[in-house]
Amino acid sequence: MKADKAERVDAQVNEFDQAMKPVSLWADAWRRLKKNKMAFAGLYIVTFYIVVSMLAPILPIYSYEDQVIAHTNLPPSLRPAGEVMIETRVAYMRKVLKAEARSSFNEKEEAEIAAMKADVAVNPDHKRVYVLGTDNLGRDMLSRTLYGGRISIMIGLVGTITATLVGILLGSIAGYAGGRVDNFIMRFVDILYGLPYMLIVIIMMAVFGKNILNLFVAIALVSWLTLARVVRGQVISLKNAEFVEAARSMGASPARIVFRHLTPNTLGVIVVFATLLVPDFIMSESFLSFLGLGVSAPLASWGSLVSEGANTMELYPWQLLVPAIAMTLFLFAMNFLGDGLRDALDPQSKNRL
Amino acid sequence: MTDEVILRVKDLRTYFSTDEGIVKAVDGVSFELRKGETLGIVGESGSGKSVTNLSIINMIPSPPGKIAGGEILFMGEDLLKMPAKDIRRIRGNKISMIFQDPMTSLNPFLRISSQMTETIVLHQGLDKQAAKAKAIEMLRLAGIPAPEKRIDQYPHQFSGGMRQRVMIAMSLSCNPEILIADEPTSALDVTIQAQILDLMKDLTARLGTAVILITHSLGVVAGMCDTLCVMYAGRVVERGATEALFAAPMHPYTQGLIKSVPRLDVAATGERLSSIRGQPPNVIDLPDCCPFYPRCDKAMEVCRRKYPPSVDFGASGGPVAKGHTASCWLYSEAK
Repeated sequence: MKADKAERVDAQVNEFDQAMKPVSLWADAWRRLKKNKMAFAGLYIVTFYIVVSMLAPILPIYSYEDQVIAHTNLPPSLRPAGEVMIETRVAYMRKVLKAEARSSFNEKEEAEIAAMKADVAVNPDHKRVYVLGTDNLGRDMLSRTLYGGRISIMIGLVGTITATLVGILLGSIAGYAGGRVDNFIMRFVDILYGLPYMLIVIIMMAVFGKNILNLFVAIALVSWLTLARVVRGQVISLKNAEFVEAARSMGASPARIVFRHLTPNTLGVIVVFATLLVPDFIMSESFLSFLGLGVSAPLASWGSLVSEGANTMELYPWQLLVPAIAMTLFLFAMNFLGDGLRDALDPQSKNRL
Repeated sequence: MTDEVILRVKDLRTYFSTDEGIVKAVDGVSFELRKGETLGIVGESGSGKSVTNLSIINMIPSPPGKIAGGEILFMGEDLLKMPAKDIRRIRGNKISMIFQDPMTSLNPFLRISSQMTETIVLHQGLDKQAAKAKAIEMLRLAGIPAPEKRIDQYPHQFSGGMRQRVMIAMSLSCNPEILIADEPTSALDVTIQAQILDLMKDLTARLGTAVILITHSLGVVAGMCDTLCVMYAGRVVERGATEALFAAPMHPYTQGLIKSVPRLDVAATGERLSSIRGQPPNVIDLPDCCPFYPRCDKAMEVCRRKYPPSVDFGASGGPVAKGHTASCWLYSEAK
């Protein structure tokens, strides 16, 4: 009885006493996003990546910087590293045997195998399991890929957040103020656009030194340009809307109109744009790391891992494939999510899905 | 309605500079508004009705618009000389507006409650709770059922008529002296129009608010307004009490307007409805003439040379004719 009453207070009722739900535009968009399977899968994958990255330090994995010299270039396997190590070594020796057209191992080789077996028996290090193999310094690829993802995703998010904040701020000021202010801000954007983006970042990294903070600054510095243009365009098309005029006629101040009435209306576009921006940043960070200007060892990012893996891809393909697949999957998920959000937030498609 | 004049517009000129030249959208408009009075402004599209009213609260988009001259005295203060900050305190508080299209004049992203309380908090200094209570009260006055529930909804959950009710509630929520309604019923369907007009009439009478009603429709002004201004090409061509103006329209343009309305009380004779021939003039670089003369049946030589002075019929007519003026050479001796 009591529950029934509470329910009735919550429910919205129209003139005919029919229950109505207060549906905000966001709730509506969420409903449509849920119907889009690809986008929702993307959302799950992205959430999974972010959670795993955040939890990386407390997950039961090896440290990303532990080097075990004996375990270099081990292939992915679920068995203990010692076994895998002996197996790969023996397989290699067999190859040599064949090439030299001999029928059995010589003394030196026998001795080496015996020594390895003895070491495996006593050294607890050999009990380690490298699910995704190791790199050329004997570091766990799983751990390195996770920590690499941590940095890559962080760069993607930090870049996007700065780009969004600065872009919204400058874009909406330019769009709403118009005239000279608009001209000034937009010509500044044009100038920054005109400069080659990668060159600026490379110069900055070279001048201020290779550290992760500088990487953030360098990427954030040039990232807000497109967003500022997009927001400005939106604000210009909205600022003559009647509800803005109505707000002005009610005595609202310009700041209030911009940040309370205009920006929320542009958020749909911004959200879509921002989700599509994250992969962009990850790509440019990868590119920088590939050039050797990104994060420096022992830290890793997906870009630097791919770069290292590419050197040895013929002999040890997993060193390239593991980070490349991890990165591709994330970028795919992010793009699907962005596409799905665009469809969900686009009022044109409102009645389609 | 008392005799206290709260708004006096004197010789208002609002110009827009465009590539083709200076558009004199409003060119020397004067009128007065008394406390509690309902003033109708009628005229064709482009005659300067809306620009006049945007000028009053200084909301002309600038550039290209510019108020080139005149005075707007609200309670003795010139709104045109007021700094932007002070005028914001007047907008929505002392003078508020209702717009034509209720579908677009509410922000689709904000709940009705936040849009309404925003204004009340800003002008009346109430806290959020009190402001919300006040907003609910206003919605109830505006005839919205279950306002305490409806207030948390979004604009798209309201129909056009309901949204216009919300707009009316919102614009009256600070108990303004003047309500400017810019074609408040044009975007609504006919069954709702009468309801909205009745609501406005009822509420403003109860709150003692003066109304400036801008409209195309003579039927609307006849039912609503105490006084009437007829505008043509940026000027007021005839002004007077509604009754006097309908009973004895003096300006040929007003006569033409009234004749072109279909009437039920005159037996259908099978005649075609009369209309004013021609098009309203382009107000760019209009020479000093009566802007109506090319369309006027009674045009004289003098009409194309000089703009006619305003003639007061108050002296000759009865009490209703008090303040009845028209700008036409037909009645002026000083040719």
